[in-house]
Amino acid sequence: MILQIALLSGLVLFSILAILSKDLLRSAISLAIASLFLGIIFFRMKAPYAGVFEISVVAGLITVLFILTIALTKAEGDVRESNLAKIVFPLFFVVFIIIDVLVMKGLIQKIPTLPGSADQGTFGDVLWKQRTFDLVGQLAVILAGVFSVLALFRKRDKDE
Amino acid sequence: MIFLFIGLPLLVAAVLPLIGKVSKKILPDILANAVFLFLFVLAITSGRAMISQGPVLRRLDWLGEPINIQVAVDGFSLFMLMAIALVTLCVGLFSIDYMDHYGSKANYYALLLMMMTGMNGLVLVTDFFSIYLFLEVAAIASYALVAYGLEHDELEASFKYLMLSVIASAAILFSIVVIYSLTGSLGFVAVGEGLRALDAGLVVGFCAALFIMGFGLKAALIPFHAWLPDAHPSAPAPISAILSGLLIKVSGVYALTRIFFNVFGLTATLSQVLMWLGAVSIVVAAFLALGQEDLKRLLAYSSISQVGYVVLGLGIGTPLGIAGGLFHLFNHALAKGLLFLNSGSVQMATGTRNMDEMGGLAKRMPLTAATSIVGSLSISGVPPLSGFWSKLIIIIALVQSGEWVLAVIAVLASVLTLWYYLLFQRKAFFGKLNERWTAIKEAPFWMTAATVILALLTVGIGIVFTFVIRSWIQPASDVLVQGIHLVVGSWGF
Repeated sequence: MILQIALLSGLVLFSILAILSKDLLRSAISLAIASLFLGIIFFRMKAPYAGVFEISVVAGLITVLFILTIALTKAEGDVRESNLAKIVFPLFFVVFIIIDVLVMKGLIQKIPTLPGSADQGTFGDVLWKQRTFDLVGQLAVILAGVFSVLALFRKRDKDE
Repeated sequence: MIFLFIGLPLLVAAVLPLIGKVSKKILPDILANAVFLFLFVLAITSGRAMISQGPVLRRLDWLGEPINIQVAVDGFSLFMLMAIALVTLCVGLFSIDYMDHYGSKANYYALLLMMMTGMNGLVLVTDFFSIYLFLEVAAIASYALVAYGLEHDELEASFKYLMLSVIASAAILFSIVVIYSLTGSLGFVAVGEGLRALDAGLVVGFCAALFIMGFGLKAALIPFHAWLPDAHPSAPAPISAILSGLLIKVSGVYALTRIFFNVFGLTATLSQVLMWLGAVSIVVAAFLALGQEDLKRLLAYSSISQVGYVVLGLGIGTPLGIAGGLFHLFNHALAKGLLFLNSGSVQMATGTRNMDEMGGLAKRMPLTAATSIVGSLSISGVPPLSGFWSKLIIIIALVQSGEWVLAVIAVLASVLTLWYYLLFQRKAFFGKLNERWTAIKEAPFWMTAATVILALLTVGIGIVFTFVIRSWIQPASDVLVQGIHLVVGSWGF
């Protein structure tokens, strides 16, 4: 229980650091540490596949991509940021936590017993046989992302 | 055949950037518009025949082997597919001339086709997680399309849209997680049965609140509207047309309606919440629209107001109210699509969106002015245009169910709508021709053609509205009405 609370606190703490940090590199590393915590939580909650993906892809691969991109960009003066965010974010966060605790406390006591999951089977079965349609959706999400990058980083050709 | 609605745009989108290397403009123009036209024809011909015996469930076969990819088609989803294909076709035609100066047309069409894939997928799927997945497909494509001009304002609007949309997605996903953890299933039918078996009224209430927040944000209902007045005006005109005409309705109104009517069931409380959310959106957005000088911002606020009418109509929950809401959804898709395309023609000719700088443009752009009057009057609810009938049906439904206050609000807000649209017409198209615009010409052929088609449809549907209601709206509203009867009154709220 204590370990679980520590892991969850770490996850929240590093997520907040990732948002509030002014240094992009620190933000990226905080995000990686946050997903490391999340990965461990997944393992402890008996979802090893989710844990493996979280740690290898989100904490590993995506962090490498972030750091590479940050290394390729150069700072062009300070970005002016409204100070409002410093007040609004913690306020919003505290309000969210209070609502979350109240709602969950009310819900958890009244949630009916969990029935057995209908989607049983191995990871491969679930991915390839039961949730086949999601693969089409995944493909579409990836394609949409690729086209977005192509569109947003295109060179404006004056002749066109 | 029905899988073509998802597979064809996805496939063509995948190859378009490669084709763009060979032919920068002509082939992408032809291919993309051929897909839009084909899907529109498919929806109005074989689609109707397919559901003549009631809703059908189709499973994909690959070389004789069944694959676990299944979609459901009923009157409601077919109606949405038709609306998506029709508006996207007009937007595609308009883009032939309009998107020339943006460059990289193949990539633009690829994103447009991805957005269509997302919307079609969302309309056809049968489970919660797939709804979320296709919602994201359409959303990701729309973020890039809003920022397509790559100017500072466009990037900022796109970022704001992205951030608020992520909050919406998080609320939706969280709600889906709660439902899955309770019922152990994601399919609409199984979840509906599971929740009733558990008698989980409290959880349904909690999830309904999250869905209202999430899909309300996607539909830009007030108070969840902050992103729309920035995002929709910043996008290129055809994209504004598709965002305001379709995307907010498919990813907001359709998804919310499908879940509330066919899975949870529309209880009296939910009905009141939806109606008042709609009424507040109608009134507040109409007042906000009144003060706008930027033409596209005015249209964007008007979209929030009109989506309010759609939600108000659907929220009544009576067969007439649902029919009115769906009919207004379709009419608004056509008219707002038309007006945003017109705004693109005007912006391309004059280089400005500020209505105070326009004036007398009707003398130089007669077709744009004429079609724009049709769109404005239809949205304002002036007879005999299509928008009049849908608003009338909604108001009659409100009176029939004893909601006098809401009926009066709907009528008065309609007057307000007419007011700001007449202001727009007077400032932009009538009066003395501003000297700066003496040299401008009517919009190019395809741009004008797209707006003329939409204007003719708006007038035509107004004249033969009974036919449209009988053949398209009624089957769609029947599906929702049956859903209500199935589950009504089982949650204790």
